[in-house]
Amino acid sequence: MFTWIQESGLGRPRKMASNKKEKVSRRSASQWAVAWRRFKRNKPGVLGLIMVIILFLSPVFEWMFTQMNWILPARPDPAAFTFFYTGEYRQPPSLENLFKQPFSLTKLFGTTPIGTDVLSDMIHAAKYTLYVGILVTLITMVLSILVGALAGFFGGWIDNVLMRIAEVFLVFPSLLLILVFVRIFTLTVGEPFWKIPLININIPAGLTIVVFVIAVFNWGSNARMIRGEFLRIREFEFVEAERALGADNKRIIFRHILPNILSSIIVVSTLTIAYAILIEAAVSFLGFGDVNTITWGQILQENFADARVVWWAELFPGLAILFSVFAFNLLGDGLSDALNPRLRE
Amino acid sequence: MSESVLKIEGLKTYFFTEAGVVQAVDGISFHVRKGESLGLVGESGSGKTVTALSVLRIVPRPGKITEGKIEFNGDDLLKKTEEEMRKIRGSQIAIIFQDPSSSLNPVYTIESQLKDVITAHQNLSKEQAEDKVIELLMLVGLPDAGTRMREYPHQFSGGMKQRVAIARALALEPTLLFADEPTTNLDVTVQAQVLELLNDLKKKLGMSLLMITHDMGIIANITTRVVVLYAGRVCEIARTGDLFEWPRHPYTAALLAAVPRLDMKKTLRVIPGNIPNLIEPPSGCRFHPRCEYAKELCGKMVPALEEIGPDHFVACHEWRDISLREKKASG
Repeated sequence: MFTWIQESGLGRPRKMASNKKEKVSRRSASQWAVAWRRFKRNKPGVLGLIMVIILFLSPVFEWMFTQMNWILPARPDPAAFTFFYTGEYRQPPSLENLFKQPFSLTKLFGTTPIGTDVLSDMIHAAKYTLYVGILVTLITMVLSILVGALAGFFGGWIDNVLMRIAEVFLVFPSLLLILVFVRIFTLTVGEPFWKIPLININIPAGLTIVVFVIAVFNWGSNARMIRGEFLRIREFEFVEAERALGADNKRIIFRHILPNILSSIIVVSTLTIAYAILIEAAVSFLGFGDVNTITWGQILQENFADARVVWWAELFPGLAILFSVFAFNLLGDGLSDALNPRLRE
Repeated sequence: MSESVLKIEGLKTYFFTEAGVVQAVDGISFHVRKGESLGLVGESGSGKTVTALSVLRIVPRPGKITEGKIEFNGDDLLKKTEEEMRKIRGSQIAIIFQDPSSSLNPVYTIESQLKDVITAHQNLSKEQAEDKVIELLMLVGLPDAGTRMREYPHQFSGGMKQRVAIARALALEPTLLFADEPTTNLDVTVQAQVLELLNDLKKKLGMSLLMITHDMGIIANITTRVVVLYAGRVCEIARTGDLFEWPRHPYTAALLAAVPRLDMKKTLRVIPGNIPNLIEPPSGCRFHPRCEYAKELCGKMVPALEEIGPDHFVACHEWRDISLREKKASG
């Protein structure tokens, strides 16, 4: 009956401040501590969190397994695989061997007609799944927070113009347009990798284009959500109070309203990651993806023609996609319950 | 006569809605003297809050100040740029809002909200700012300020939140403080405490207070002069004592008659009718459709604000011919 007292931190015995040091150390339960307590009780949410942590550890596994020679190294220069795209793979040299021993201890998920190991490829591809999920979400959220904040805060014609633009992106069948634009832009890419200057990291060029195209076609719905939240918070008296204290618009938007909708942004971001992973897999599976980078969707595409024979090359990457989408969705739902408890009723 | 801090002349703030132009404030003039507490009274929708927001120039859309002059310490605020206005807000003119439960940002601790205001305008070190926060919270009578400042607004009661809101408004030592119905959402006992606090602080800090309220009890308690508003216009300006003793405007008299009193046995008199639609306000005196003394002239000509005694102004055509004093006394 009085659980809310514990939840809100009100029921905690208050330590009396006997000296100055002690009073500094005592902080009241922030909303994050409260939310974490609520989240911990949500079993599916915790499962999702564990699954997400496993996904994020995959680059570590990749490095470890490669060191220990448990998996094959990442595919070499894609040029070595040109035969694959010229149709020669129809007479793969190792097909007979394949049926003798498709699975082994080191090749748990089987091998493919062109001699690649499914598990190795999957582990190498895991980091790109995260790359896609996170980068798409970052770009989407930056775009939609900017658009949503401007539209929701200023209203009027700015709101009208921005929301009509968002609707244009919402009403078109996005997958079709993503495919078209991905094809157009990937045709213009020369090098398989772009080198980012200062930090010296190679990023896959084709995949990055896919990421940008997905993000550009994905911000509409999130922007609408954020606009709605801004409209709601804007009416609170503390916004007027801050203005009366001399705060400018930038300060009110970013320092006062945005932190109030942070919980919604976190939830939507998590769900956007899942969506981005799914869309990228679809793009790759349909043959529009980055052929120079191995992703789970790419493995599906490569082996689709032989799916009836090498079913394992379709099943396991498919399950991996399911796993990651499931992980982020469970986490997102759990966070949504923990951060917005009112939604449950 | 002491000089005035704020002088409003012919202020008109209109709201340009889709249904039409709402004349929320239509030609209001009054002034606030240095160190006084002035009451701004009227029914809901009479333009009290809009007047305050107009002075700070934070009238929400679609509202717009269309005419008038707002002189603050001799400068016309309507001629200032937005940037100059931002510097005045909070540091020279501050406002306390009606609803303490939503006037504090729920995601920050009290400490960081107050620090935010202080450090935005003053260059202070972290320790200095913290000391200032504690000092402010002690000034408004928050017990255990050093500990409680690390708590969030939801951990405070309504009265305590209003104290914090007052502390925030006073953080930069403004010379003029608007209190927009600061006690309507509080318990009666807490109301008295907050009013007493405001009165004390006003004396201690030597600022001017503009008390916006519809509660005649508050007016009687803490103001020295009163401006009565009706439908966006000034009806009467008088010293508080004079106003209660002998109201000259029929609306003021009706307002006073609508206050329940224990010392006089009488039924409460309700003002018939409703506050007019401000998109198409009544012609002439805006009160005439509800006024029992209305003559033909009242519907045709807008009454001017006449000086009828020391510090006493009234906007009524009939004030000479009606005696509201007896009326009030006999009930």
